[in-house]
Amino acid sequence: MAGSINLTVKIGNLIFKNPILTASGTFGYGLEYSKYLNLSKLGGIITKGLSLYEKLGNPPPRIVETPCGMLNAIGLQNIGIDAFIVEKLPKLSRFNTHIIANIYGAEVEDFVRIAEKIENEDRISAIEINVSCPNVSAGGALFGKDPDMVFVLVSSVKKVTKKPIIVKLTPNVSDIAFIAQAAQSAGADAVSLINTITGMVIDTKTKKHLLANKTGGLSGPAIYPVGVRMVYEVYEKVKIPIIGVGGIYNADIALQYIMAGATLVEIGTANFIDPSITMEILKGIEEYMENEGIKNISQLIGIAHSSK
Amino acid sequence: MRLKIVENKQIAKDVFKLRIDNPGLFEIDPGQFLMLKINDYPFPLLRRPFSIAGFGDTIDIIYKVVGEGTRILSKKSKGEFVDIVAPLGRGFSINSAKKIMLVGGGIGVAGLLYLKDVIEKQYKLPYETYFGFNFKEEVFVNDVNIATMDGSVGFKGNVVDFVADKLNKDVMVYACGPTLMLRRLAFLCFDAGCSMQVSLESRMACGIGVCLGCVILTADNRFKKVCSDGPVFDYEEIQWQAL
Repeated sequence: MAGSINLTVKIGNLIFKNPILTASGTFGYGLEYSKYLNLSKLGGIITKGLSLYEKLGNPPPRIVETPCGMLNAIGLQNIGIDAFIVEKLPKLSRFNTHIIANIYGAEVEDFVRIAEKIENEDRISAIEINVSCPNVSAGGALFGKDPDMVFVLVSSVKKVTKKPIIVKLTPNVSDIAFIAQAAQSAGADAVSLINTITGMVIDTKTKKHLLANKTGGLSGPAIYPVGVRMVYEVYEKVKIPIIGVGGIYNADIALQYIMAGATLVEIGTANFIDPSITMEILKGIEEYMENEGIKNISQLIGIAHSSK
Repeated sequence: MRLKIVENKQIAKDVFKLRIDNPGLFEIDPGQFLMLKINDYPFPLLRRPFSIAGFGDTIDIIYKVVGEGTRILSKKSKGEFVDIVAPLGRGFSINSAKKIMLVGGGIGVAGLLYLKDVIEKQYKLPYETYFGFNFKEEVFVNDVNIATMDGSVGFKGNVVDFVADKLNKDVMVYACGPTLMLRRLAFLCFDAGCSMQVSLESRMACGIGVCLGCVILTADNRFKKVCSDGPVFDYEEIQWQAL
């Protein structure tokens, strides 16, 4: 029965075997999870955010738990694009899944140079441009809050790559659809939303911030209704595929994102708690479709929009 | 994996011992840890890291009730299930050439008990334990050398003061406890030229080296992950002033 269900989805000409991706920053460089699940069963793996050079990130404490969520201020610690290509990519290439490089820079030129380095790496299927990290002072969400900056950035990267470009948007704006439209106008092939929501926790014993960075990004089940609402809003305004992300920890929430308009979903914080959660969510989606008699997942995308 | 609780009983003030069924699917080295999911999704959201206090017919952890997660855990009964990810991290390496001292403080003592078992029963090496607590009601072990801050049992004062004059270059210290205690002990070990391995605690989300939430600053100004580079470190690797 499961064989008759079609879970394939597309971004541009890129075909994904199923809509389950892992969210950047929650799946390492992929390899860390290979003993907990068969990575080849994923639609794709989105890497930890990669910068031009190695980045040490923020001082600890970097995380704190909140009700049904967590706040992080890692500060994009990563090994840099060159080390990723040499040390991680060859091992990742053993797995039959799309590798999507999440890239980050402090300036437009940084993004362009990283994209150039990736361009000839056939095993990287697509680029996710991170314009939404709330935990770094330069670049990050500053880009993502300004539609003109998003347009310039995406256009600039587009000039040096033929790979599909996904733009990961920040929810910390008043009109996320406006930013998504700017990304689309610049030639983005998809948008992913949402990244974490900026938050703060104060320790009442020490009367100080719990995170060394003072603020952090809120993720986990607490934020999924915000993500679903934003996907719904963006679906009304753009034609390119949307990737839904934020607080997905079971098939029901993944399906909510899809019904709101997401073509694919990214699983994030839930990977920390259950390293094989992606497979449970995939199975849950298949079971739902079987029970509902739905043969093709495309029938569900955006179904919550009565006018479409 | 979901495992059945064999016993969950209070053994000292706010301190509980949880024994869970050992499925025999993995081995665990002293100093390694597990991540335990207390409830089903989504609250508490994150797993909790616990050091292993005993490993045999059961997997044992000893924990102090400090927050909502451990409070919920303390209410669990025999026959209920908990979900664990294990074994995780890098444990202690046992050096038989030196005089072995285990130095623990508070609930950190739990992190040395499995090591003590292995040194005694597998390696059959001589060792000494020095365990410190605030007061009598907190003591959950029957070892000889106990220190309490109020003097209600054993040596009166801090466990670091208790061992200070016993440290020299022929000693290997295995330590686990509050950060301030470990820092003082580290400085004394530097002065005495003795060796020390420490088990550190940190806030962690994943426990498997992915979230990068648990890092500590090392002597060469880089970050190491407590969960996968540790939790056991050589004390000379750590930038103690930054902890």
